[in-house]
Amino acid sequence: MILTLIILYIITLIYVSITERFRNYASIICIQGWILFAIALLRLHNINIYELLFISIETLLFKAILIPALLFKVINKTHINRLKRSGTSQFNALLVSMCALVMSISITYYIANPTINTIFFGVALYALLSGLILITLRTRIFAHMVGFLIIENGVFLFSMAMGVEMPFLINIAILLDIMISVLMLGIFFTKFDHNADAKDSNSLTQVKD
Amino acid sequence: MIYYYFLISIITALLTLCAKQKRMVNIIGSIFYGIQIASIALLLFGDITAESAGEFFSFDKIGMLFFGLLTIVSTFVFFHSTNYLKDSPLREYRLYFTLLMILTTAITGAYFANNLAVTWIFLEATTLCSAGIIYHRHSPETLEAAWKYIFVCSTGIAMAYLGILLLSSLATQESLSYELLTQSIANGDSLFLKTAFLLIICGYSCKMEIFPLYTVGVDANYAAPSPAAALLSTGVVNAGFIAIFRVYKMIMTTEIAEWAGNVLIIVGVISLAIGALFLRRTNNYKRFLSYSTVENMGIVAIGLGVGGLGIWAAIFHIVFHTLIKTSLYLQMAIIRKYYNGYQINRIGNYININKVGGISFIIGTILILAFPPSPLFISEVIILKEIIVNGEWWLISIILLLLCIVIYSIATRMIRLCYQGDQDNVTPTPQNKFFSWSALSLIIIAIVIGIWQPHCLEVLINEIATL
Repeated sequence: MILTLIILYIITLIYVSITERFRNYASIICIQGWILFAIALLRLHNINIYELLFISIETLLFKAILIPALLFKVINKTHINRLKRSGTSQFNALLVSMCALVMSISITYYIANPTINTIFFGVALYALLSGLILITLRTRIFAHMVGFLIIENGVFLFSMAMGVEMPFLINIAILLDIMISVLMLGIFFTKFDHNADAKDSNSLTQVKD
Repeated sequence: MIYYYFLISIITALLTLCAKQKRMVNIIGSIFYGIQIASIALLLFGDITAESAGEFFSFDKIGMLFFGLLTIVSTFVFFHSTNYLKDSPLREYRLYFTLLMILTTAITGAYFANNLAVTWIFLEATTLCSAGIIYHRHSPETLEAAWKYIFVCSTGIAMAYLGILLLSSLATQESLSYELLTQSIANGDSLFLKTAFLLIICGYSCKMEIFPLYTVGVDANYAAPSPAAALLSTGVVNAGFIAIFRVYKMIMTTEIAEWAGNVLIIVGVISLAIGALFLRRTNNYKRFLSYSTVENMGIVAIGLGVGGLGIWAAIFHIVFHTLIKTSLYLQMAIIRKYYNGYQINRIGNYININKVGGISFIIGTILILAFPPSPLFISEVIILKEIIVNGEWWLISIILLLLCIVIYSIATRMIRLCYQGDQDNVTPTPQNKFFSWSALSLIIIAIVIGIWQPHCLEVLINEIATL
């Protein structure tokens, strides 16, 4: 079951590389939130019940509901629908994403170690690369924020691989969620909203040498 | 015991938010920094053991040394900030000081944390406080800098967390304390350890202001008020250094020790090269000082990577860099008061406008360039000597070439500030000379301690540098 969910998770990562509509980005983040919630329930059923409750409720509430809702709110408020100028075509983005997938699999294969869950590690690495690719290839700040959320979800997924032995590691990953996502979305929602140009990262070039 | 410190510090900091007058903010701030001074006095002279800090913290030598430095720096930053921001509205004024105090507390946590995850949490906390300070002026530029800072630091911190997770998978016990992890990873798989080390170095580089994520630090120092930039460029940078140093210390017990050293040398050389190139390019004194930090942290990374006496020199270098750079930033705050800007090709004649400040700036420049009697001269010579001993001539030629560029860039720019004619013909408003003397005092402290080298400091650095 977990394997099926992880394959679904990988598909969402591939889809991120080709889509250009912001509503799709928000939907993907929402789907990833639900997948992570399901994985948390299946993977961590052996840990302390209160910890399991806290982790699963946080995942559901935060990753699957609150953050996607905030993303949709940003889209509605700013009326930005899709990438204005993508740095690269969909085909090239898909190609880069596939290269990242192959790279992640290769690193995971070489690193294969009984102490880590290689599937979780491989997917987390692919999520990290996918997020970085999105940040690099797309110019809209919104896409950058989604890129960061994808990285964060990947890290959260990997923390669940470790979390069976050390649940506090997941709590720390949650801390990263709450502190940064809210702050970044908050800034985007309240500050950049007044400045239409600032929605494009190309306009964020005042601070330079 | 450290939990009481956190509780008192946070309560004091939050009290600042309720202050109805700036005078009240200043009084609460003085109490806060009084607490810092009392804490370091207690650590130095009280009957406190390293273990009494609690489960996740340890009053170890490196923590104490850097906490001592932080106390000096943050106290100076506080008093200079009161002067620098005296015309700000009360709301912004008290928010700035609240964040400054919380930032100081978060940095202290990162210094004393003896657990990989706890260090990470406090470094994350410094990102949040720093972002608020960077956005202090509420201008589009500060918003951009704050956004970039949060974004890049968060990405970096997430990468570092992935590295921590990798290391934690090797842990044999349910703990991520540096001591226990050192034992666990001693026989760890080398590729595994290399990946973890790379991720952690990349992640924490945004805090230590070294390659690859150094850019956010430069932007942050540029956008933040000058006195706060002093804290970001020293206190936060030192926190990044400690985080990397502790991981490096663990890695030194494994079979990838030599490889990790080489990675640090490469990172250091690239940082030094970036510093050298951008010192020539930038036209803003604050960015100029930030690139100087990148350059100096590059030297520190090289020192760590070289190993042996190089590690001693790296710690010695960062200690004195903290004092000198703080002084230069505080002086920069005074310069802003005079000229209302930092443009290199516009402002000048500072020596005639403010003699004490000008002299302080020139001496600071000499010290940051590592000319004798600068303490940085000692550390750089030791690092170079260690490289020669290792027979790495190619490395020494690259470093010397880059250092020549750095010396030329800094010397010409700093002299310009003091002696070139002021292009805008600014009529300077008279400023309180006390703050110029105050910035100069840090330079004098650096020279005196650097030349005298008290035995206790030598022993302290010796103990820290012993891997």
